[in-house]
Amino acid sequence: MEQTSVFELRQVNRNEAGREILTNASLTIGAGEFVALLGPSGAGKTTILRLFNALDSPDSGEIRFRGERLDQVPVRDLRQKVGMVFQTPAILEGSVRENLLVFQRWQKDFTISDEEIHQILIQVGLENTRPDQAARSLSGGEKQRLALARTLMNEPEVLLLDEPTSNLDPVMAHQILRQIKTLQEEMGFTVIMVSHNHELAARYADRFVILLQGQIAADGPLSVLKTAHSPAVQTFLNGGGE
Amino acid sequence: MESQFYVVTWWDVLVALVFIALTYGIMRYWKIGLEKTLLVGTVRTFLQLTLMGYLLSYIFNQESWYFMVGLLTLMILVASFEGYRRQKLPIPHYFLILVGSLGITVLIVLGTILKFILAVEPWYYPFVMIPIAGMIIGNGLNSMTLTANRFIGELKHREGEVETLLSLGAPVRAAVHGSLVSAIRAALIPNINNLMTVGLVQLPGMMSGQILAGIDPLIAVRYQIIIMYMWITTAVLTDVISLTFIYRQFFTSRDQLRLKILRQAEG
Repeated sequence: MEQTSVFELRQVNRNEAGREILTNASLTIGAGEFVALLGPSGAGKTTILRLFNALDSPDSGEIRFRGERLDQVPVRDLRQKVGMVFQTPAILEGSVRENLLVFQRWQKDFTISDEEIHQILIQVGLENTRPDQAARSLSGGEKQRLALARTLMNEPEVLLLDEPTSNLDPVMAHQILRQIKTLQEEMGFTVIMVSHNHELAARYADRFVILLQGQIAADGPLSVLKTAHSPAVQTFLNGGGE
Repeated sequence: MESQFYVVTWWDVLVALVFIALTYGIMRYWKIGLEKTLLVGTVRTFLQLTLMGYLLSYIFNQESWYFMVGLLTLMILVASFEGYRRQKLPIPHYFLILVGSLGITVLIVLGTILKFILAVEPWYYPFVMIPIAGMIIGNGLNSMTLTANRFIGELKHREGEVETLLSLGAPVRAAVHGSLVSAIRAALIPNINNLMTVGLVQLPGMMSGQILAGIDPLIAVRYQIIIMYMWITTAVLTDVISLTFIYRQFFTSRDQLRLKILRQAEG
């Protein structure tokens, strides 16, 4: 069966402050995939997520979302369909409930029952968190889960995760990724996750894209990449995930 | 007691130099080292205000409305340029935004005062129009520049929050709402405090001046009340109008935060 693509990068370049962040990046991501973007810091991983969420635009090249040019898709529709969870999530002042109801700020008719809020909190593993609890008093892992829940409120087709476990201990990291994997199986969205830890990502993702200095150095299942000939890729993979 | 208006002569001004002499003497005795600056300042005060007096006499003798409108435009341009030059904020079109915001505010506030409150005849009667316009422009500019600066600070501080909201599909206006409100609140608080304390601590300068000029204190007070109300409206109007144009400068047409411009701002 032919897989439909959600995202396609064609010869994309992006510079920031005179530095090349992405060079001639071409990549196709199919619907329902769990893709891990790996690479050392500064390799351009986060930039790809920001391009997909339209928080930045490429300097040249083309990005397509479901076959349509990204710059032709109304930006707010796109962002609702392509949810992003940041490395350091911005938790808003107020309660957990207010963070989930943030959409009321621009959608006057947006409502959600307490029961639905409870269900969402269970989905992301926050079953012991009270909706009226001050959101900024949550722990790092709980904030990460709350940010995930908030993004899922849009029922996105694609979930972009920027180092979702970088501030968490290994047990917590596995817990949250397991939860994301389960949600993906239930809801059917595509996951594109940035990580610098390929051993952790290997347990959940089914495809790995390795970025080195702004270029896509390797792409495929991890077992294939491990036998790839490129010495730079081997060095990265053998570097203990860093 | 009947109120009386004491005419100040040039001779009186000369006698007032006794204050400068006293200050100079104290400075010399204490070796404060500002004696020369004091003398320069004394001469400059004399020259600048005398010049301003002649200028105002000339202006107040004009009888055409277009002269007054031209003068008002010039005042707005000069004030905006001063605000623009002093702050050096990395806001595209900042000068135009200042001019536009002051222009609209002057039109609304000055128009209301001249036409409906004081019902001045003719409406461009310079003895009323010019001083009030000066107050509106001065206060409006102060408030706007304070607000713009504060807004940029807020935007930098809340960069993550703003991008998170955008990433969830929020329109730009909703994403920056918190920053807008914080900036406007910060600029309005001193004005509101003024409303609370006026007359308790000290008499406002304009009212003191009117009383010295022999005006019935009750009339002077009424003028001052109108000025106070005008002041807060001026602040809120200039802040809201300028920020409406300013916040959008920090975003692209694809609702992306222009980090490069934001990072140019100091602090």
